This record gives sequence, structure tokens and C-alpha cells, in this order.
Amino acid sequence: MNYPTWDVPLIGSVWVIGAIAIFHVMISQFAVGGGLYLALAEQKARREGREDWLEVIRRHSKFFLILTGVFGAVSGVGIWFSIGLASPESTSALIHNFVFGWAMEWCFFFVEIATAAVYYYTWERVDAKTHQTLAWLYAGTSFCTLVIINGILSFMLTPGDSWLAVAGTGHEASRFWEAFFNPTYWPSLVLRSLVCSSLAGVWALVTASQLDGPLEALKAEVIRWSARWLVPSFLLMPVAFFWYLSAIPANSRQLIQAGVSTIGSGLFTQVTRAALVSVMTSATILAIVYFLAWRNPMDFKLGHSVAVLFLAFAATGATEHAREMIRKPFTVSQYMYSDGVRRSQIAGFNQAGFTTDSPWSQSMSQGELMFRGQCMNCHTVDGYRSMRRLMRNRDRKAIGNMLTVLHDTPASSPYRNFMPPLVGTPQEIDALGDYLNTMVGAGGPALARSSKSSH
Amino acid sequence: MATSSFPEPKGALKWPDGILKWMDERLGLTELAEFARHKTVPQHKHSFWYYWGGISLLFFIVQLFTGILLLVYYRPGKEAFDSVRQITYDVDFGWLIRSAHSWSANLMVFAVFVHMFSVFFMKAYQKPREFGWWTGLALLGAVMVFGFSGYLLPMDELSYFATKVGLQIPSMIPGMSGLVNDLVRGGSQVGEATVQRFFALHAVVLPLLFLPLLGIHLFLVQKHGNALPPGEAAKPASERRTIPFFPNFFAQDLAMWLLALNIVTILATLFPWDLGKQADPLSPAPMGIHPEWYFMSQFQLLKVVGRWIPGFAGEIAGMGLFTAVLAFLAIVPLFDRDTAFGRRARLTTWLGVLMLGGMIGLTIWGYAAL
Repeated sequence: MNYPTWDVPLIGSVWVIGAIAIFHVMISQFAVGGGLYLALAEQKARREGREDWLEVIRRHSKFFLILTGVFGAVSGVGIWFSIGLASPESTSALIHNFVFGWAMEWCFFFVEIATAAVYYYTWERVDAKTHQTLAWLYAGTSFCTLVIINGILSFMLTPGDSWLAVAGTGHEASRFWEAFFNPTYWPSLVLRSLVCSSLAGVWALVTASQLDGPLEALKAEVIRWSARWLVPSFLLMPVAFFWYLSAIPANSRQLIQAGVSTIGSGLFTQVTRAALVSVMTSATILAIVYFLAWRNPMDFKLGHSVAVLFLAFAATGATEHAREMIRKPFTVSQYMYSDGVRRSQIAGFNQAGFTTDSPWSQSMSQGELMFRGQCMNCHTVDGYRSMRRLMRNRDRKAIGNMLTVLHDTPASSPYRNFMPPLVGTPQEIDALGDYLNTMVGAGGPALARSSKSSH
Repeated sequence: MATSSFPEPKGALKWPDGILKWMDERLGLTELAEFARHKTVPQHKHSFWYYWGGISLLFFIVQLFTGILLLVYYRPGKEAFDSVRQITYDVDFGWLIRSAHSWSANLMVFAVFVHMFSVFFMKAYQKPREFGWWTGLALLGAVMVFGFSGYLLPMDELSYFATKVGLQIPSMIPGMSGLVNDLVRGGSQVGEATVQRFFALHAVVLPLLFLPLLGIHLFLVQKHGNALPPGEAAKPASERRTIPFFPNFFAQDLAMWLLALNIVTILATLFPWDLGKQADPLSPAPMGIHPEWYFMSQFQLLKVVGRWIPGFAGEIAGMGLFTAVLAFLAIVPLFDRDTAFGRRARLTTWLGVLMLGGMIGLTIWGYAAL
């Protein structure tokens, strides 16, 4: 535990990443699907000689540029900041393995952002063919960013046997392509591409629903054309989803089913619930788009498009949350746990101690160091997955018994599949037990009060 | 008028002609479609409020559907708590059905209140819609009793003590104590007999009263159509806009239903209704016992008046004030009859604002005082 810890009261650092990531995914996947939308829309308009359509596309491209170029780019940087602070070990492991991948992604990203700006500012300033080429350049580079980031994201759930065979040896980068084209790469890419297409349509409906004045006559046509972008999802999403399910590890599939019969806390039952929200909201988007946008385009108002956007946000958030959760208790499946401890380090930490090399051992108690290092990645004191709530009604002995179960991870432990094993010497685990007992007791120290941050 | 004269989209789903014709000959679908097409709905800046009656109805349908499913496992009486525990923690998707039932109950009360106040401020209780207003008030009362009776059924600690406190209030009225004991509580204490009674009320008696009332209410809405708000009614007919009920308003109504259904689903899945500790009549009431949010304003009103006027007189004054509000709502169509901007109309509007503000303020105050 050589990295600083990041204490975010109530929501925890995990939800800082979550909130930024969900917002970013909504925009970045629109950036990918929207690029193709602009290219095809412009091609159609030019082929049919529709000047009025070009004006609509020009307006949409302004909205597109602002949304993706500002909010998409800023939230993307926000993800880097937040994962670096919240999960430095995991971030470090990914960078060491995928530095070449990210270098490629940043090249494409740079071209993508620059092209988006050039595309908007060259309306009526360059000839039609050049402008159309810019549209295709944007569409191509933005899709390439998805192609690359998908490899890294899917790797975290299914790194593959080939990469796992060299994990921890220092030769991980030699299996770059095996790790990149991992078992869930292709189903994940298809799923994300379908979502990109849907989001292109959903966001386009926002601008199309506001067409008025001389462009109002185009409203029905543009809305119906945009609504068509949801058809691929409608037809292929169930197939792609089952393909993806068949490719993920069996224990991840079990996690999805954990909440079918219960809402018991501590068992990650929210994964099932998140999956249900995703299915329900996605189905509703399709229904609203069909019944309102497609059947009655002129009655499709801004309020309706914002409602669809809200549902898309809920669907995206629920899906991304479920995807992150089914990887538990790992950050990189079978290699690194969500608290940043590598599987290969467990025996060493149990023998030599988890906090032995900590630079903060003088400034805070051993119990707090253990809490910050192994609990705080997923738990807060009083908010999300509150430790005070989870430890309520347990005396010191019960807390100690629970920590023993977490440390020994017997086959009968209900937490075995959901939580990383607790590592450390008996003395450290005892210190953690004392710390938690004091936290739960009346007047016990709240982490945020006792120490604002160990940075 | 918003146009709907677009060509049918290519590939739109159509019933095979043969089946459609067969059904049409027997059910008169063409006449029904024709009727719906000629029926119009006013379109103006307050049109949004027209959806709330439909949304209330949707939540009721969700209640009905999930309630029937809960009946499969729920066992009133001494096994009540265990059966709800089984539904919540053992039965596949039992938690979802129970959560959807509980959330849609709360949302239905909210939607009915919004619907009532929107109807009130649009003055849609005036001639010829008086009976629509009265049946609506009766439905609101039934919804509140639905909520109160359903709240006890899990028999956990909170529902037990909240019901106990709730039933003490009418018992204080002279002559009511025996009636509450014999008819509602089934004894001097809340217990198994109370759960049996509340279950019968919740699952049999109230639906039997509610469904015909709802039928009459919907018939009256169909008969008189949507009321115009005073500002809109004052405009000349040529300046008023309408849209066809079918397919335009119907499609928008359907979209609102879908959105409302999603809100229930999102709440039920992300914030599933948990179950507290089993009720123990011998244990002291836990701190902060309070009624559901939709009874909080009445609860707080009784507390506040009781503080100003201590003792029995305070209880009576509080109940009296509450009864006066109900009486005012009942007689408002007779008081504010047919003018949009007269003295009585203005007074009624201000009283409505006072009532709404009072409800919201007392509810917030009630929670802050816990």
C-alpha cells in the first residue's frame, strides 16, 4: 500500500468514477454513432440534392461538436483523474500492459476531436466532396477509439488464459494482442456498436424535435430517419446480449442471477436489479420511439426527446454498473482484486504484513490503514455500502469472526465470490477489528472526521 | 390544430385483414375507432395536467396486477410476517412484485393528489362535471384507506406501531372507541384479528367499492370530455387548439404510461422495499414512529393543534379542522358554480392554494420534527 488513499464521504470514490464514467459513456458512444450518423445523413442529403437537409445537419453538427468536444473530452479526462486516485494499483497495471493501446487510442482521439471541429467550421467553406470526406474521416477515427478502448475494458473481465499465464512475470506486454482480443472482445464490440447506433438516434431526436420555423416541414422526415437508428439495436441486441453472456465467466453469470430471489444485502443482488432496469428502460425507449417519434413525428416534442434521453441515461448507467459489478471481486479478473491486491501477493501480505511498507504508518493507526487499504475502495463509513450499517448489531467478537471468515475464505463463506480475501498478519486483522468496533460504537471516529485524507 | 396527416410509415404493423374484419363484425371496432378519431382533446399550455388521471389509473392497474400476484404467497394472520419475509427473500422476483406494489401505491397517492389539485385549479368541478368531482373525491378517500390498510399487512415493527397510533386517533372521538375495537381492530390491541380485517378490507371490500366508482368516474370523464382551464375557456373558439384523441393524444398518453411504468420499475429495482423486524407487541415503540407521507400533514396538524389546545379539546379541534377541509372539498362545486373569474371563483382558488401550501408545509414540518 504505497499509494495514497482517497476518502470521498457518503458516495465513496467508486461512485465518483461511476458517475463520471456513465456520463462519459453516454457522450462518447454518441460521438461514435453520431459520427456515422453525420456522414450518412450528409451523403443522403447531397445525393438527393436536399439543401434543407444540409441545414438541419449543420445545426446538428454544432450540437454534436459542443457536446462531444467539450463534455465528452472533459469527462474522459475526469475518468483518468478519478481512477488514478481511487484505484491507483489497477490503473498502473492497465497502463503497464496497454500503454501501446492507449497511445493508439489517443492518436485516433486527437484526429477525431480535430476533425469534428474542422467539420463544423468548414460548412460552406470547402467543396462538398472534401466536407463529405471529413465526415467519413471523423466516423472512421471515432469508431477506432471504440475498437481500442473496448479491448481494454473487456480485458478487465476476461483477460484470457494466455495473458494470465504470464501475469506477474513482467512479460505481460508480450501477450498484448491475446489480452486485447480476449474472450469477450467481439460480443462486447457488437453490443457497444449497437448502443452507439441507438444513441446516435436518441441524441438526433433531441435536435430534430426542436425543428421549427422554415425547417418545421422537415421535422417528420428527420425524426423518422433518426428513429431508424434504433432498429439495429431492436433486432440484434438480444442476440448480442446472449452471445456476451455465454462468453463471460460462470461466476459472473451467477452474480447476474444472485438477485432473482432476494434483496439480501452484501450479496451483490443489485446486479440483477441493474440488469432489469437496463432491459426495461431499453424496451421503453424502443416503444416510445416507435409509438411517438415514428407514428406521430409532428407531435414529438422536446419534452419527449428529453424523456427518451433520460431513459437512455438510465439504461446506460444500469448496464455499465452491472458490467462493472459482474467482475467482482476483481478489477482484473483472476489477477487483481478490487482493493488493488494481486492474487500473487496474498501469501506475502499474510506473512510480512499489509501495512509494513506503508509511508503513513506513523500518521494513522494500523487499523485505519487496513481500513483505507482494503475496505475503502468499495465501502464508506456512513454512505454507500456503509460500514457502520453493515457492522451494526455486531459486538467486537462478531466483528472479529467476520474478519476471520473474510481472511480464511472458507468454501462456506457467502462472501467468497463477492469480496476480496482480507490479507494481513493476525495482528493487523486484530487492529482492523478494533478500528471497526470503535467506528460502530457510540462516538466512534468517523473516518472523514478523524483524518480528512492521507494525501 | 396539430397535424396528423402524415402518410402511414412503411412497414407499420397491421392486423391481417381477415382477422380484423372478423373481429370488427363482432365487436364494432370501426365504430369505436371512428368515435375515438372524432373525439378531441384541448391543446394548450396546461395540457400536461391532463395526463395525471391516466397516470393514476396506470398505477392502480399495477396495484391490481401485483396485488393478485402477492395473494399467491401472502398469508394473513399469525403467518403474515413470515409470508412477506418469504416473498421478499425467497421467492423468485417476489421482492420485485412487492416493491412494485409498494412503490406504485405511493406513486398512485401522489398522482391522485396531483390530479385532484389540477382538476381543482382548472375548475373542472363546475357544471356539468360535479359528479366527476365527487366520484373523484370518493376515489381519493378509497386510495387513502387502501394505503392505510395495506401498510399493516407485512406486520413488521414500523407498520405495527404506526397502525396502532393511527387507530388511536379515531378511538378518541366519543362513541367511536367501541366501533373501532369491534369493527376495525378486532379487539383492544392491534393483532392477528386486525391483520385479517385489514386484509379483507384491502383485498376484497375496497376493490369492490373502488372498481364501480372508477367505472362511473371514467364514464363521466368520457361523457363531458376534458375541461378547459378558465384562461383558455375565455378565448374565442377559433383560437382554441385541439388534437384528435386517437391516435395523437392516445400515443402521448401511452408514452406517459410507459414513462410512469419505468419510474415504478427503476424505484422498485434500485430501491426495493425492505422488511423491518417482526412486530413485537410487548416491546416499546421504536423512536420516530410516524405515518406514511400522505398522512403526515394530517398527523402534524393534529400534533400542532394539540399543542395549542391541550387535551381532548385539542384532539377535537384538530379533527374538526381536518373535517372542515374535507367538507369544503365536497361542497366546492356547489359554492363555486359556473363563473371562471367571479368573487367566489377567486376565493376558491386562494383557498385551494392555502390548502396545497398547508399540506406541503405540514408534511415537511412533520418530517423535520421527527
